[in-house]
Amino acid sequence: MTALTDFSISIQRRFGRQRLRKFILGLIPFALLIGLWELNTAFVWFDPVEIPPIADVWEAIFWLQSDCPGFMAAVDGHNSCQLSNNILSSIGRVILATVVGVPLGIGFGILAGMNRTISAYLEPIGVFMNSVSGIAWIPLAVVWFGVGWETTLFIMLNTIFWLLFFNTMMGVRAVPKVLVQGVQTLGGSHLDAIRQVYLPGAMPSIITGGRMAMGFGWRALIAAEMIGGDSGLGFMIFVSASEFKTEEVFLGVILISIIFLATDRWILVPLEKWTIERWGLVWKPT
Amino acid sequence: MTGEAKLIVQGLSHHYPDEYTGESVHALDNIDLKIYENEFVAIVGPSGCGKTTFLNIIAGLLPYREGRAMVDGVDIKGPGPDRGVVFQEHAILPWRTVSRNIGHGLELRRTPKAETQRRVQEYVDLVGLSGFEDRYPHELSGGMKQRVAVARTLCADPVIMLMDEPFAAVDAQTRITLQDELNRVVMATEKTILFITHSVEEAAFLGDRCIVFSRRPGRIKSEIKIDIPRAERQWKDMVNNSKFTDARDEILGLVRSEVTSNDDG
Amino acid sequence: MTTADPAPVRRKTLRKRLTDSRAVQLIILTIGVFILWGIISAVIERPDRYLPSPLTTLISSADLLEKGVLISFYSDTLTRLVIGSIVGLLMGIPFGLILGLNRTIADMFYPLMNFFQSVSGIAIFPIIVIWFGNSSTTVMIVILYTSFFPIAFNVLSGVRSVPMRYISAARTMGASRFQIIRDVLLPGAMPSVAIGSRLSIGFAWRAVIAGEMLAGQAGLGNMIFAGQELDNTAQIILGMALIGFTWILLDHFLLRPLESDTIERWGLVTR
Repeated sequence: MTALTDFSISIQRRFGRQRLRKFILGLIPFALLIGLWELNTAFVWFDPVEIPPIADVWEAIFWLQSDCPGFMAAVDGHNSCQLSNNILSSIGRVILATVVGVPLGIGFGILAGMNRTISAYLEPIGVFMNSVSGIAWIPLAVVWFGVGWETTLFIMLNTIFWLLFFNTMMGVRAVPKVLVQGVQTLGGSHLDAIRQVYLPGAMPSIITGGRMAMGFGWRALIAAEMIGGDSGLGFMIFVSASEFKTEEVFLGVILISIIFLATDRWILVPLEKWTIERWGLVWKPT
Repeated sequence: MTGEAKLIVQGLSHHYPDEYTGESVHALDNIDLKIYENEFVAIVGPSGCGKTTFLNIIAGLLPYREGRAMVDGVDIKGPGPDRGVVFQEHAILPWRTVSRNIGHGLELRRTPKAETQRRVQEYVDLVGLSGFEDRYPHELSGGMKQRVAVARTLCADPVIMLMDEPFAAVDAQTRITLQDELNRVVMATEKTILFITHSVEEAAFLGDRCIVFSRRPGRIKSEIKIDIPRAERQWKDMVNNSKFTDARDEILGLVRSEVTSNDDG
Repeated sequence: MTTADPAPVRRKTLRKRLTDSRAVQLIILTIGVFILWGIISAVIERPDRYLPSPLTTLISSADLLEKGVLISFYSDTLTRLVIGSIVGLLMGIPFGLILGLNRTIADMFYPLMNFFQSVSGIAIFPIIVIWFGNSSTTVMIVILYTSFFPIAFNVLSGVRSVPMRYISAARTMGASRFQIIRDVLLPGAMPSVAIGSRLSIGFAWRAVIAGEMLAGQAGLGNMIFAGQELDNTAQIILGMALIGFTWILLDHFLLRPLESDTIERWGLVTR
């Protein structure tokens, strides 16, 4: 008994009473949901084609990877490693689009934020592009690039670029002029002003834009993979659904959310917190 | 005054188009001014008299067409490290620590690291910020931020330091402390300073010379020499110093007549 | 203060004033885009497939308009958006309120909501199709699912952000719990309701297009999708232009004014 009390106290110390309470409360609906899901398997209120048993969803992982010769082959992208290939394919596109789209978006955003003439011509295009929304570009992208990775990459890039462009521009415009003047009077050049004032000053807005871009980008990417792709998790769940392999669909959906949540929680949110805590900067849209 | 003129302004006038109506506004009219080495010149005037415009022109932040302005014999064309500016508030970079803010001017000039570090420490100590070197600006009080701003400007070693109402945004108690400290710093560094303020007391307390600006268009209305050795300028003694009180009252009269000379003020 | 902008001293010339005017810039931009579009389409091979000229696009849109399909697609899509947004808001606002008013319920459901929000409506689309087939219901469910979360989260944080001192003030005047909700928390959350509504409707708009495309239901989304299958690129471009401009007009003339009006009128959340 005392061991249990000690254990409970040590846990409360480690996490804090409030956080522990929150954690346990938050767990309840998940537990209920999973419980209901299991009950459905037992009582078959809904057909397994509509709601597959949890065990089947779990087994789908191994089923999809069954022909995979091993870990190294999975990393290599061996043909028969279906699941890992699709995951890597989606993530790879996200990384590629980020590596290309983020610097481009930030670069043009800084230019437009500093120069009224540039922004007068780029801003309306950006407004239109963001209004069309990444998803509506899919049919045209399919016409231009055919079904395949070029189309999906284009859709993701297009979404990321304009969101970052916009947020960077807004962020640069909100940088107090006096900070730039301060650097200029210390002998700083235009490049110094960009590197040391505009870029860090716009950082909170850029990171907010990055989070938005990831959110919209993932959605657009999944849609693009469904309609105009030949690989990736979106493609996988779309094909599985047409073959009524619902357990694969569930698995894919869960994986998509986990990957998205993980990038947001472990990369983007910490970045956001970092700029706030260290620099005392918060992006307030005006 | 001994030495050569560091800042020379001849027949400087300035017009700018009004933001809304587009009409030309006459901000400065035929300003002639010389500031000599190690001199502290304070400009006072009613708000809207063009004193900030004047400082921005000297800083190179505002292009001018009519008249001449030279620092060390070189015409002013844009901002440069020979003229350091201390702005009213919030001009130090929030993403740099105290010491990196102070060393920013040297960093921009690619001064060797060891040299930069030594100089930064010197100025950190001078303005009394020892122990706060690694803090970020949002962790500092308003008065400390302005100390950083002053140290940053001094550390870049400008020919002339321009100060644009640097203590206007801090509370009264802090302002007095900062003014006392500025005197001490000026004595220690022997800098040439152009100081803009709307506070008559501040101008009389700090300036070797006070220039009173008229209402718009800004002209030099008069000039008052305040002949108090810098070592004697401390608030606790000044209240009873007749040289100070006389100068203060004279400037106050001049500024007040400027404010009331027309109906609005 | 006389901190003038560093504009030239001379009066602006007519030319400068013209090129500085926003309307003129927009006109120049539009003409520029059309000219560029025309040039590209004239230079490339098989423009009908890859990028039909502005004129071709115009002719084919007149054709679609004449057949009456354009108007029927357009009204289908707008009807879906209106119904979807209204129902989505009607579900999301009360839910957000309940969570905002009760900390225990909020702590309980917040993680679940967070998880399901990150499972985007598009990702669950295949599951919904298995359940309801390629039908109008499927599209509507996807719309509701996507528009529900932004509004619910915003209302929740709106209620939470009402400063404690307003609640305390109402308490000292003897307000009951219900009166506090009615007189303090609800009005205090209004700006967030407005912001969340605009966000939600934006999400709903994307979901309408995606849903129509994927489930093959008549509307603008399906129009561009069919355009691709029928090799009618002019139809795709027309559809995209309609999608973009509809949203710009909707946002600019309805949602944004509504949002800023509400914030201005109810903006007691100043912080």
